[in-house]
Amino acid sequence: MLTYITRRILLIFPTLLGMTALVFFVMGMAPGGIGGTMLDRFGNLKSEEAARVREYYQKRYGLDQPLIVQYGRWLNNISPVGTEEREDGTKRFGVKWPSLGESLEQHRPVSELMAERLPITLLLNFISLPLVYAIGVGSGVIAARHRGGWFDRITSTTQLAMWSLPTIWVGVMMIGFLANREYVKWFPTAGMHDMEAGNMLFLPSHDAAGWHLGYVLDGLWHIALPVVCLSLGSSAYLMKLTRGSMLENMGADYSRTARAKGLPERVVIYRHVFRNSLLALITQAATILPAMIGGAVVVESIFSIPGMGQLGVQAVQARDREVVLAVALVGGLIGLLSQLIRDILYAMADPRVSYD
Amino acid sequence: MTEIGVNSNIAADTTAGRPDVAVKALYQQVLASVFRQGSARTGIFWIVSLVALAVFAPFLANTHPLLMKRGGVVSSPLLRHLTPSDVILVVAFFTAVVLWFFKRVRLTVKAIIFVVVLVVASVTAGMTVRPPEVVVYEQYRNWTQAGEIEWAWYVPVRYSPDDHQRDVEDARLKAPTGMHWFGTTADAADLLSNMLYATRIALSIGFISTGIAVVIGVFIGGLMGYYSGIIDLLGMRLVEIFDAIPTLLLILSFVAFFRPNDPAILLYSVMAIIGLTSWVQYAYFVRAEFLKLREQDFVHAARAAGLPLRSILFKHMLPNGITPVLITASFGVAGAILIESTLSFLGIGLPGESSWGGLLNQALGVGGSFYWWIAIYPGLAIFLTVYAYNLVGEAFRDALDPKLYSFR
Amino acid sequence: MENRFGVKDFFIVLLLICLIVLVVLGMTQYDRQYKHMLTIEAVQQEQTGDLAKIRRMLEQGGVSMGTREGTMQPGNKVLGDDWIQPKEDEFTRMKRVYAAKDFAQGDALIDTFGVVPDKLTPLISTDLYSAYVQGAVLDTLCVYDPDTLGWLPNLATAWRISPDQKTIDFKLRHGVTFSNGDEMTADDVVFTLEWTMNEKVEAPRARVSLDKLEKVEKLDDYAVRFVFKEPYFKSFETAASQQILSKKFYSKYSPTEFNRSVGLLLGSGPYRLADPTSWRPEPGKPVQLVRNERYWGDPAPALARMAWQVIENPSARLTSFKNGEIDLYTQPEAEQYLAVRDDPELGKRVQAFALDAPQTGYIYIGWNEKRDGKTTHFADARVRRALTMLIDRERLVRDIKHGLATVNSGPFFTLGVQADPAIKPTPYDPAGAMKLLEEAGYHKVNGILVGPDGQEFRFRLTYNAARDERKRICTYVQDALATVGIVCEPEAMEWSVMLKRITDRQIDAACMGWSATPIDDPKQIFDSSEIAGTGDNYISYSNPELDKTIDAAREIVDMKKAIPLWHKVHRIIHDDQPYTFLYQEKQLTLVNGRFRGDVATKKLGVSPSNEWYVPAALQKYKD
Repeated sequence: MLTYITRRILLIFPTLLGMTALVFFVMGMAPGGIGGTMLDRFGNLKSEEAARVREYYQKRYGLDQPLIVQYGRWLNNISPVGTEEREDGTKRFGVKWPSLGESLEQHRPVSELMAERLPITLLLNFISLPLVYAIGVGSGVIAARHRGGWFDRITSTTQLAMWSLPTIWVGVMMIGFLANREYVKWFPTAGMHDMEAGNMLFLPSHDAAGWHLGYVLDGLWHIALPVVCLSLGSSAYLMKLTRGSMLENMGADYSRTARAKGLPERVVIYRHVFRNSLLALITQAATILPAMIGGAVVVESIFSIPGMGQLGVQAVQARDREVVLAVALVGGLIGLLSQLIRDILYAMADPRVSYD
Repeated sequence: MTEIGVNSNIAADTTAGRPDVAVKALYQQVLASVFRQGSARTGIFWIVSLVALAVFAPFLANTHPLLMKRGGVVSSPLLRHLTPSDVILVVAFFTAVVLWFFKRVRLTVKAIIFVVVLVVASVTAGMTVRPPEVVVYEQYRNWTQAGEIEWAWYVPVRYSPDDHQRDVEDARLKAPTGMHWFGTTADAADLLSNMLYATRIALSIGFISTGIAVVIGVFIGGLMGYYSGIIDLLGMRLVEIFDAIPTLLLILSFVAFFRPNDPAILLYSVMAIIGLTSWVQYAYFVRAEFLKLREQDFVHAARAAGLPLRSILFKHMLPNGITPVLITASFGVAGAILIESTLSFLGIGLPGESSWGGLLNQALGVGGSFYWWIAIYPGLAIFLTVYAYNLVGEAFRDALDPKLYSFR
Repeated sequence: MENRFGVKDFFIVLLLICLIVLVVLGMTQYDRQYKHMLTIEAVQQEQTGDLAKIRRMLEQGGVSMGTREGTMQPGNKVLGDDWIQPKEDEFTRMKRVYAAKDFAQGDALIDTFGVVPDKLTPLISTDLYSAYVQGAVLDTLCVYDPDTLGWLPNLATAWRISPDQKTIDFKLRHGVTFSNGDEMTADDVVFTLEWTMNEKVEAPRARVSLDKLEKVEKLDDYAVRFVFKEPYFKSFETAASQQILSKKFYSKYSPTEFNRSVGLLLGSGPYRLADPTSWRPEPGKPVQLVRNERYWGDPAPALARMAWQVIENPSARLTSFKNGEIDLYTQPEAEQYLAVRDDPELGKRVQAFALDAPQTGYIYIGWNEKRDGKTTHFADARVRRALTMLIDRERLVRDIKHGLATVNSGPFFTLGVQADPAIKPTPYDPAGAMKLLEEAGYHKVNGILVGPDGQEFRFRLTYNAARDERKRICTYVQDALATVGIVCEPEAMEWSVMLKRITDRQIDAACMGWSATPIDDPKQIFDSSEIAGTGDNYISYSNPELDKTIDAAREIVDMKKAIPLWHKVHRIIHDDQPYTFLYQEKQLTLVNGRFRGDVATKKLGVSPSNEWYVPAALQKYKD
């Protein structure tokens, strides 16, 4: 088991290396080069002056060197062991603090940007995930329990439709109809918090002026639409999965035995069948979570939520290499880690699964 | 036309290496079971209609009259302004329909005839069809107003997609009316007309990029499954890399960084990029199947008989391992359409109005205004098309391998 | 142990997760309180410092409420005739406004940003947004008069230009303090410019603008001298618009530390950062400035606080404006502006001023006259004039800009002094254009125009792919030129690629924008010396007479004397049409209706907010 885990962890590194190399060289070989907008945002500077400024920045960020050198430097930066330049310009080799570099567009440390943006994306996802499970597993169990009933029939036709719903369309329609003064203005159109959220009380409160939402509810109100948008597809997927897994377990020998013992159907289903299906469903989070983080790219762009996905899209548009790399790295890491956790969970929970 | 191609592929592939009769039965059985499902029938119907709409778009939406008499001369400006690709599409469509009704002819023969006709049509159309380069759409409306046109037949939608109605002031972003059934876009063009032409892009992106992905996936997966060992290990890392990368981000950077200026090349590169980034699932399935199959008797037999590697791989193993790939592919087409529309929506994909996603992007005006017709119609088109492909995919899966889904 | 994950375990896990969430929430809340406390503490400390100072002054018995008044006109000493010493300054303007009956101090102005500014540290910040904040915190030597576009004294009270036009001296105001209490002297001015010119400071952009500056000298504690390498008509602007930094404050930092800093912002302006060193960009949190209690100007601006709320989504910005959450929305989209201007309902919720003023920049199409060593169709001035006449620019403005732009006839700011008001834009005249084209030897073959050399008139019109509006313009031009048989193919290009093509001269025609300044230097784009190499005259346009006129005009620092020459430049460019000038956009602004005073459109956009106030009854933010 331990060897298995060690091996899996070690295998993450070549994957990450390959992934970042791919992203790095895709960007590096592009015509027009990296840091495009930063290097070209010089207004009406005379061309030779603009060239001078551009040269300054190219040197500053080492963009004038061969690609492979630049990649090597980037790797050295993110690795905790490597050479580091001191204030006075001398170099030393040893353990150091890994750095994601500096944004070419915003001239700020990428780690700082990520520290601002990542929690927002994670928050969005960790609110969506329980919702996905509640809807997906709940309706899946009901559908399986009353197989062929009206609920089952309705959900089996709608779940594929739900799964096929384009996020961009759902987002646009929600903003257009639910957050629009012309129709109903139930939700805010954009952002994570209200203007005055900083001065709000934390919890809902009541005073002479009436009810106040408070900081927490205000945040929830703002991300309600994005969360729904993000959860639709995954809930449909999970529902289908739950139903299938439940049905399979309901037909299994042990549930037949349980029924034969004279246990009521409800007990058979919730105590035996559901339990047996649960692990498989929970480990699905490892599939759903990375998918949702990918989906956040779109959702955050539509709803203007300052999360990692939006950062990624903006960085791509601005050709901000370091930021794109960091977003790819973090996104990839989340995906790989959740796969790893899933496999370890499997191995721990199911003695039949063997890994050598 | 096109989805017929997919069906016939299954047939062609499953035929190889097995007694003819039994396979015919399987192929017919699968098709029959797919067609038995109402939902799949609806899906196929929608896709076939889309194909028809895409092919006949110029005859459905055009500012040029189909036939008109002006100054005593009868002419057909519509035919005069057809592009080579319009002509090729129509020829290909009719060839496919005709071939479909020849039940007796073998599928391979049909395919060869189709390809030959397509090539001949492309060459002749490319050489002979030369639409005028300068187009002034408003002239017909001006002539009508001036009474110069004695009579004219128009097609149902009387606006070409790039007819910006320069003769009408303030025609932008108008809600549906009797003249513009689906309203107008931000460029004062007819929304319905634009959507009809965008059908071509949605369909071709779906098929071509999935085709590319399947080819790459089958190739890499096949190699991994056949050789196993070190190649498998390396291949799996490659699969893992592509699996772990946030795909949308990779596609975004590909397209944003390698954006060609020519719209046609851009279209192909978007197709290629979507294909290049979505082959992983296919490779995964083929590898798994191959790992299972390579220990089976018929492969051992083929090797013992001294058959060359290529022959074993593609003639004997591939047809047996292809089933899950084909099922995934029909979902893949849906996915590719989704990705393309998302790209265009984010303003990184195809330019503006040539794609449903790009049209959808115009729905939310910056002024807080919401143009519901632009949100509903293109969005619905994307949704229905994706839904249709998923329905067909699910029907295929049910027919071929009902257990597959639960173990994605 | 049974190796099974049951329902019970599931709920235990759920409970645990809930617990963790609660703890995290609790910690967030605690953090929020802590931050609040820190700000309160900082304010308290400042106040204690001030109190101590006042006590000290009281002990010395030297306090008089008149010091402020006294410091206002220290330059009243008699100066030589060569000194220019305007009688009015921005405070005279403010006093006029503040004399109103309903005038009251207080309230805040909430503006918006599209993104969180990356840094507020002057010189090294790169985005436009930080410039707004710096503008409220830092003072310059002089400021533009919004009505006349002349210069008003600010940190400087008087100035003189040497006869050889190469040196400019400034007398500095006495009694000006930075917001930390240090006095502003000539040392600070010298320091600012030396700091900017320091190669180690990451300010390549600012250094380029100081290209022609040779040195800055301190004459005495309250006088500085700028020495330029050559006479140049924009020298005065360069010197007068420098934002002055505090030497004491900034020289504490090494250039590296300065480059890495994010929120080092301290100046002598009417507002200040609550903490001049530790500002950090935080998404979703407004950038806030508070009143600088030590502000030297009199009167101090009425508004007690300025804040910039970050709202990325433009439609959300409009919603916030309509709800009265933000007071100022600069440069809304034309549609948004119209939605507010034409909304009768809005009056019930917020009253909005909708203001528009022309922008100094313009949108144009540049016709490349030479490509790959061969002259193109555009080399003939008659053809260029005909092209301009074929494009209905008024229609373009109506259709694409909702009428919120003005068609311009030349490269100069329409309201500026350089432009000749007598020159009107060429009207739309397709028949006249056809005649010109025929004169130039063009005729139709198979529906396409063919030139005298037998070449078909076809070209590609390149534009920046990221700009939707440019695409609209280009398709419009395509349709317009099609009516006479010219094949124009719009070509979208990635901006960086397009720039490369332009410097390589590999372009037929380009639709672009030029963000000119109120007083602009046309040499860079139209002079023949800029054709060679990578110069900005990428259209290879050359007119010796124009070159001569521009050179003559550029050497005169006193604008008034140069006006006839600039008008001549305008005339030549209008006749030659090297560019087809499309329009100058209007600079749109939406302002909440509770502001009074001189809230109006001036020549350079909306009037400065220090001339605004909110009557006591309408005040919204009390602190």
